[in-house]
Amino acid sequence: MKVDIEAVEESIIRFILATFPRAHQKGLDSGTLLLENGVVDSIGVLELVEFLENQFRIAVTDEDLTADNFRTVAQIGAFVLTKQCIGDAV
Amino acid sequence: MDYLIHHLLRTSAAHYPEKEALVYREQRLSYASVERAAKSLAVGLSKAGLRRGDRIGIWLEPSTEQALSIFAASYANAAFVPINHLLYPQQAAHIIHDCRMKGIITTMPRLNRVAHLLPDLRDEIFAVVTDAGESPPSPIKTLAFDHLCQEDGSKQKDQCLGRDLGIILYTSGSTGKPKGVMLAHDQVLAGAAIVSEYLEITDEERILALLPFSFDAGLNQLMTAFCQGATLVMMDFVFAREIVQALAQERITGLAGVPTLWSLLAQPQSGLYKARLPSLRYITNTGGKLPRNVLYTLQKVLPSTKIFLMYGLTEAFRSTYLPPDELDRHPTSIGKAIPNTEISLINDQGERCKPGEIGELIHRGPTVALGYWGYPDLTAKVFRQNPFGAPEMLDGEKVCYSGDLATMDEEGFLYIVGRRDAMIKSSGFRISPTEVEEIIFQSGKVRSAAVVGVPDKVLGQSIKAFVVAKDDEAPDPAAIIDFCAANLPRHMVPKSLEYLSELPLTSSGKVDYLALKKREGIA
Repeated sequence: MKVDIEAVEESIIRFILATFPRAHQKGLDSGTLLLENGVVDSIGVLELVEFLENQFRIAVTDEDLTADNFRTVAQIGAFVLTKQCIGDAV
Repeated sequence: MDYLIHHLLRTSAAHYPEKEALVYREQRLSYASVERAAKSLAVGLSKAGLRRGDRIGIWLEPSTEQALSIFAASYANAAFVPINHLLYPQQAAHIIHDCRMKGIITTMPRLNRVAHLLPDLRDEIFAVVTDAGESPPSPIKTLAFDHLCQEDGSKQKDQCLGRDLGIILYTSGSTGKPKGVMLAHDQVLAGAAIVSEYLEITDEERILALLPFSFDAGLNQLMTAFCQGATLVMMDFVFAREIVQALAQERITGLAGVPTLWSLLAQPQSGLYKARLPSLRYITNTGGKLPRNVLYTLQKVLPSTKIFLMYGLTEAFRSTYLPPDELDRHPTSIGKAIPNTEISLINDQGERCKPGEIGELIHRGPTVALGYWGYPDLTAKVFRQNPFGAPEMLDGEKVCYSGDLATMDEEGFLYIVGRRDAMIKSSGFRISPTEVEEIIFQSGKVRSAAVVGVPDKVLGQSIKAFVVAKDDEAPDPAAIIDFCAANLPRHMVPKSLEYLSELPLTSSGKVDYLALKKREGIA
């Protein structure tokens, strides 16, 4: 499956805006710090992971749950694409 | 004799001066150094004007400074008021005003955000900041935490009794703004001794503190650790796997959590199932019922760890626990009374409930609080004469009416079934509907509003709002939820919102919460 990064980021932004009201205050874009700014907290990460797994058909493992993968929408997007490539190769 | 909160620290520092008392990130403080710093800070606070009985706020993230401040306040003969670091300026300002704080220990950004809400207090209150430096000057007299810790603390003298006010813990009820529950020093010490007894806590323990010190169970972890000369490890986290890593790296022996935390840890991504945690001797749950599937997962992945289900309310500090060996027979029970405590259930006729009969849970014992700061009527309602004592005793002793409805089985095991009032409990937090409704009103978009707690698989309950639009306002649920998110900490923001043409009312003209719950199929 071919997905471009912009479509992935847009879909993640839509989900975050709909799920985490605080994102509106922070003027969410692909570079907004999600964890440091408290837009997404530990329970929010759960909801986000569930969304990513369903939306992009990836399996998120415990090793994937690092701040480096989740700090911004751009990083989440890159993470999703990496996961999909690995998935395709299997 | 130990009868004041800082005596716990004094005794452990005498027995185990070089032992690790507090760990946070790369900081590892020994009991001797914690005692030294807390005493010095106490002198600094006294010089800043803090006197016996004054209230000092502590509004900090989990940190060693937070724990030091707690013991320093006690050394300084003052009462401390922990404020949850997640609270917004508006909620913090309420607490600062309500208990007429003399001083507040916080950070510069927090002070700057709350200062404009305290115009009346500018000359009355002082602030101590842990991050003094290049920050712009505040209208409030501000001192540097590190500077205060340089004072000579060797001559600090105790003035308080065990009966004196030691702590005010702010908590929500069914109406209005949060109220301050007053705890005397000796109640806190009784709580630490009782919990140490049934959890069998010794100086060998390494306890991981994830619950905030503004929450009775979180504060109790600090007190039991210092009571026994154990080590308290503090941390902040976003991912559940960070907790699992800390459990392994720090060889944690005990961990307390609320159901939301255990739900996070029971997720496969937390890595708990493949972690090796031979040191983890016990875990405890409080703040709500642990879902069966979560409990089952924890039992499976932590086969050698004892699981204690507990129940407590701020007004009585800690109340019941279920011994781990009863878990398989009574997995939904909150157990029986903690040592030196009596729990009874009373029905609407004022009689003791029969097995299976629903009644209000009443707590009697040495951890019952002094009452609510500044609310004599509410205090009289919740803290009452022992209904089962000899009439000649009059009101010589107060017991706590919890507002929680429960049943007891034939063997005396207790089960929580609900609340007497409209209070909401979400991810371990108590939330009063009116606090949320007030903010919804402030949005200027509604004519009336009411919120109820609805079941949520991770949070226990989440908040659902019902609103009636103003005549000239088009329905805009997202805008109202956004407004709430800007003015309330996340646990208080409604998850969903529904417009109604009118709110259902009771015959006395008040909002009929029961009818709203029935709409949701939960009453």
